[in-house]
Amino acid sequence: MQWIALRWLPEAEPSPEAVAVAVAGETLGWWALQYTPRVAWLDEALVMEVSACERLWGGRHGLMRRMNIENPVPGHRLQQARGDTGLVALARLRMFAAGRQPPADVPAALPLGTLSAARAHLDVLARMGCRTWGHVAALPRGGLSRRFGAGLREALDMAWGLHPERHTWLVMPEVFEQKLELPALAENASELMWSANRLLAALQIWLRARQRGVLAIELEWTLDLRRYNGVDLPPTQAITVRTAEPTQDMAHLRRLMGERLALTKLAAPASWLRLRSIETSPWAGASTSFLPDDSRKGDKLHELVERLSARLGPQQVRVPVPHADHRPECMQSWRPALRVKGEAVSAFASSASQPDAVFPAWLLRDPPRLEMRDGRPWYFGRLHLLTGPQRQEGGWWIDDAMHKAGGQPAMRDYFIAESPEAGLVWVFRENLDWFLQGIYA
Amino acid sequence: MSLPLISSSFVSARHNVWRGDELGSADAQVMTTGHAALDAELPGGGWPVGALTEILQGAPDAHVWQLLLPVLARAAGTRKGPVVLIGAPHEPFGPALAAGGLPPESLMWIGGGLPDRVGRSGSTSQSHMWACEQALRCADVAAVMAWLPQARVGELRRLQLAAAQHEGLLFVFRSESVALSASPARLRIRLVSAEGGQMDVHLLKRRGPPLAQPLTLPARSDRITALLAASQMRRKRRRQQAGEAVDSADARIATVVRLDLRKSQPDKREEAHAVDRLAVAA
Repeated sequence: MQWIALRWLPEAEPSPEAVAVAVAGETLGWWALQYTPRVAWLDEALVMEVSACERLWGGRHGLMRRMNIENPVPGHRLQQARGDTGLVALARLRMFAAGRQPPADVPAALPLGTLSAARAHLDVLARMGCRTWGHVAALPRGGLSRRFGAGLREALDMAWGLHPERHTWLVMPEVFEQKLELPALAENASELMWSANRLLAALQIWLRARQRGVLAIELEWTLDLRRYNGVDLPPTQAITVRTAEPTQDMAHLRRLMGERLALTKLAAPASWLRLRSIETSPWAGASTSFLPDDSRKGDKLHELVERLSARLGPQQVRVPVPHADHRPECMQSWRPALRVKGEAVSAFASSASQPDAVFPAWLLRDPPRLEMRDGRPWYFGRLHLLTGPQRQEGGWWIDDAMHKAGGQPAMRDYFIAESPEAGLVWVFRENLDWFLQGIYA
Repeated sequence: MSLPLISSSFVSARHNVWRGDELGSADAQVMTTGHAALDAELPGGGWPVGALTEILQGAPDAHVWQLLLPVLARAAGTRKGPVVLIGAPHEPFGPALAAGGLPPESLMWIGGGLPDRVGRSGSTSQSHMWACEQALRCADVAAVMAWLPQARVGELRRLQLAAAQHEGLLFVFRSESVALSASPARLRIRLVSAEGGQMDVHLLKRRGPPLAQPLTLPARSDRITALLAASQMRRKRRRQQAGEAVDSADARIATVVRLDLRKSQPDKREEAHAVDRLAVAA
């Protein structure tokens, strides 16, 4: 059995980042799970059992080098030590951290201070002349257990490999959920974003370990005040960020979250932040090719749509939906391009299109009433009617408040007319009033 | 000893030298415009791909589709991506565009007339500029059409750089009044309505000699032209049946469209009538 013990030490200057280690302990475990499925916390260090997997990573030294390179905590040094059992690896890590050279005879020559189970009895054992693990192990078993409890003897057996080690192995949770206390009360949304970045980094580690892509996440913050300006406040506020395709790309999520947060107003200063994954789906990963890459570089379309919708509003980014209807303004409607997952696109959409070059390329959905001069319609000059009339009767069968013609029998006579300034236009007459419906570009 | 070296490099460099009096060659990808007369005058024989094309005209809504529908249809067909309209003056009408070959599904309309959501992102013009840049950054977008009447030269320069990364079509529509000011666009075009359903295409800037005479292209689709001709024919026949005497001088004044009937009715070209008179009676 081969074990590696890991510990993160802040670099010389303990920055605010030092808090991150305490917070992200769970995250570090997830990070270590990518190398081996057997990871556990042992006191202050993370121990990993690697005998089954070290070949996959190119040997033990290759694995340790790789972990150093992929160190997930910026500004912290990764300390590693290995040993035949978890306790030995931990003891060597402790000696390494204290700056002492580990002895050649392991585990018998390891100093007693590096064994957690012996720490409570260090003074007694020292007065008995026991300074190393070997000294204690040489004491009679029965007397040792009666005097110091079964725990010490069991720990020694584990260190020598005589007794199986018991660990609570780390497992990945099904749902990502992490809380984070803000370093200071956040007054506005941009301050939240700074801390949310750290949660997003943890989310990325979780997604990679579980091989999943995120579809929806929820960022929730706890309000620090119960009442503000005489108004009762809810305990928390939250925003949900959704994306159409599963993603592991935190830059995209960060941009969406930033846009959403910029539109959100904090009801009161926030103290805690919580990030939760609402919906994830299996991550297919990117397929690479031996052939020269002919794909164009740039963002994906759904990313563009989501980014535009997040800033401008979903109603500003629209795609047309054709309808089978004879009234011009009902032939097409516009829906937000932002697709909510599960929303089925009408199967009739493509068949409902009625291409006809007689229609104008620009449609005026709310037709303006045309000015009348000398009994003739006027639009940038006197209109000359060229073709028509073409009679269209409104949809009396639809009781729809949205359409002007709905509910009452509207009768319109359509003409193609020419204005001296504006060119060809599409006008209609209804009850002796003239309206402009379209412009031929 | 160094002389042959110089001359050989000079000879090889001559292919890369563009002389000002000849039309620039296709150093970049182009896409045919669908109008043969225009293709012949554009460097490389088409709209430049991955570069800013500036189109100036008096009314923001005029002639856009007639000029660009062929290339947009081809771009949407080959790249399978949307054609993004930013700040369009009116609602584009799908059935008419579908008739020109551009499927309505490939349209994406951004910022069409609705009030902006918040004042946070600045004015509408700025948010349109931002949207335009974002659209150019997307790999799937086939073409971007942006109406940017208030764009400054620096902003256009940004768009030009973004377009160079994008390998798509970018058309920016601006007002006629900026025709004399400098622009980073590789191709600048001014459209002017002409008599008889035509439009004049002035090439303000291209890689090549200036074009003295504007090109004339039809400003209406064939279908509309044929329809107008047919309705005029019918009107004339009806009037003849009614035995109404046609005052030829009056007719000439009232005629507003010079119909090009060579294709459909070659022998009745000179017949033109006061077309508005019947419409009022109708």
